[in-house]
Amino acid sequence: MSTLLQEIEAQISGLKTGVTRQNVGTVREIGDGVAKIEGLSDAMLNEMLDFGNGVVGLALNLEETEVGAIILGEYTGIKEGQEVRTTGKLLQVPVGKSLLGRVVNALGQPLDGKGPIDTQTFYPVEKIAPGIIKREPVSQPVQTGIMAVDAMIPIGRGQRELIIGDRSTGKTTIGIDTIISQARLNRAAEAAKDASYRPLYCIYVAIGQKQSNVARVMVVLEEAGAMPYTIIVDASASDSATNQYLAPFAGCAMGEWFMDNGKDALIIYDDLSKHAVAYRQVSLVLKRPSGREAYPGDVFYLHSRLLERSARVSKKYGNGSLTGLPIIETQAGDVSAYIPTNVISITDGQIYLETDLFYQGIRPAISVGLSVSRVGSAAQIKAIKQVAGRVKLELAQFRELAAFAQFGSDLDAKTQAQLERGKRIVEVFKQPQYNPMPVEVQAAVLWTVQNSMMDDVPVEKIKDFQAKLTDYLTSRKADLMGKIRAEKAFSDALSAELKAAVAEFKQTYR
Amino acid sequence: MKISKQARRDARQLFRACMAGGALDEGRARQAVATVIQNKPRGYIAILSHFQRLLRLETARRTATIESATVLPPKTQAEIQGGLTRQYGAGLEFHFTQKPALIGGVRIQVGGDVYNGSVQWRLAALQQGA
Repeated sequence: MSTLLQEIEAQISGLKTGVTRQNVGTVREIGDGVAKIEGLSDAMLNEMLDFGNGVVGLALNLEETEVGAIILGEYTGIKEGQEVRTTGKLLQVPVGKSLLGRVVNALGQPLDGKGPIDTQTFYPVEKIAPGIIKREPVSQPVQTGIMAVDAMIPIGRGQRELIIGDRSTGKTTIGIDTIISQARLNRAAEAAKDASYRPLYCIYVAIGQKQSNVARVMVVLEEAGAMPYTIIVDASASDSATNQYLAPFAGCAMGEWFMDNGKDALIIYDDLSKHAVAYRQVSLVLKRPSGREAYPGDVFYLHSRLLERSARVSKKYGNGSLTGLPIIETQAGDVSAYIPTNVISITDGQIYLETDLFYQGIRPAISVGLSVSRVGSAAQIKAIKQVAGRVKLELAQFRELAAFAQFGSDLDAKTQAQLERGKRIVEVFKQPQYNPMPVEVQAAVLWTVQNSMMDDVPVEKIKDFQAKLTDYLTSRKADLMGKIRAEKAFSDALSAELKAAVAEFKQTYR
Repeated sequence: MKISKQARRDARQLFRACMAGGALDEGRARQAVATVIQNKPRGYIAILSHFQRLLRLETARRTATIESATVLPPKTQAEIQGGLTRQYGAGLEFHFTQKPALIGGVRIQVGGDVYNGSVQWRLAALQQGA
């Protein structure tokens, strides 16, 4: 009984008994998830507003006579004339390691039924990106496990690389493959107790996606054992436009926690075209002036402020990084549309996926000519640089020659050789989905191609040859693979050893 | 009623013209309305609607509503009036009302600012805390 009394006393003493000052307003208009509120003279931009009964709004328009706020969650219970209070708090979401393995909504509330999220740390959804002084150039690689990407369009930790293409060309797959690859690397480093390896945590933000697609992604990640290193932020098509607008910022705040704590994180925004559409909807119901294609004037700033928050922070400021992989869906391959050009100009390069290549069976359907990575080559390991340096050029030349060769049958020996090499490179870069490849295997396979050791293998048997060679190298020559992984470069001795291993394999290959 | 940007701008201009020394001059406001009705400029109904809204908001901003569970003695009323005048400046309009639902204490609202020292509010805070 005495404990109960003490508890009540403690609760009473914890309460503020003095008079408090609050700023209130009244709802003048409500509809489409947006409320117009009179009063609220002290409201801040992006401040959370309390509508009572647990309903929260976000002040987005501060006008002369009223405040325009978007309602987060259920708004049908709000009535005209209802009282609204300012809270003095900006919108914030829970952050930290306890979010790993969880599926949350745009406010950081769990959706996976695994109970509440155990964290005391919260980050504001909107935050200014790290400045010039805090940053340093990208220097460490993100191993996506996709050979075409790692060899030709390398991504570094802290880079923003856009994945762009038409519908169903494999954009999400590249993101998911990257997450699976990170999980494998993280697990391998944990098993080997490799303290030098910096684990890369992943955040997948689904914006305006079908619930079934998000569920499928979740199952794939769970099956691949990638969920313990991943957070899924879900604002699917059935969610309100306001939640879809907030989701990438919430995901980014979760990623920033890793960056601020000296860890590396990767965030995938799937996709920013739908994000722009959601923002357009919010802006139109807030009666903001519309511009091109009815998007508001600040749609560029919307994406630039989001993507600028991806950074590589210098050692003095914690040595963390946040890598951004935004996805944009184009219509009929039009990369010159409004939102695609905006995001292309913001990011440090793009991976362009083509429908034609996809249906020709070249998967991932990466268009080598239009894809570029502006900073990632600095992060590539030396072994890949040694073997992949000329690949992009050779592949581009092959595409040109292939078009030319269709019109004439008499080709000189050099052109023939270029064509044959090109065909083999195309075959080598084909890779099934959800099957990322370790970097040492990529380096060994590319070394084999570049040193003309696949030239005598028929093109239709290249994939079979590659698969068997990979099996042979990983099972029978594991120590050689280990050396490539450790040295990260092809020395003369290592090249000779690999040459002998491939020659030995070729003797047994049928 | 749809109020155009031009009508809003005109109403705002009219409203500014009715202000004298930071406070609303009621005589000017009446005169302004009469002139608009007489001259009937384009979109005058929208202008007057928005003008009326601006006046309503300004009146609310300069009105102090003091609610208490019981009738406040004149001395307390004078103290509250003095305190609010120091805080918000002269020209406030005071409304003292009795609201037994507050149980005890006082709730003061000036424009959008609410000072709540009522027992009802404290009980609600206790309930939320629990």
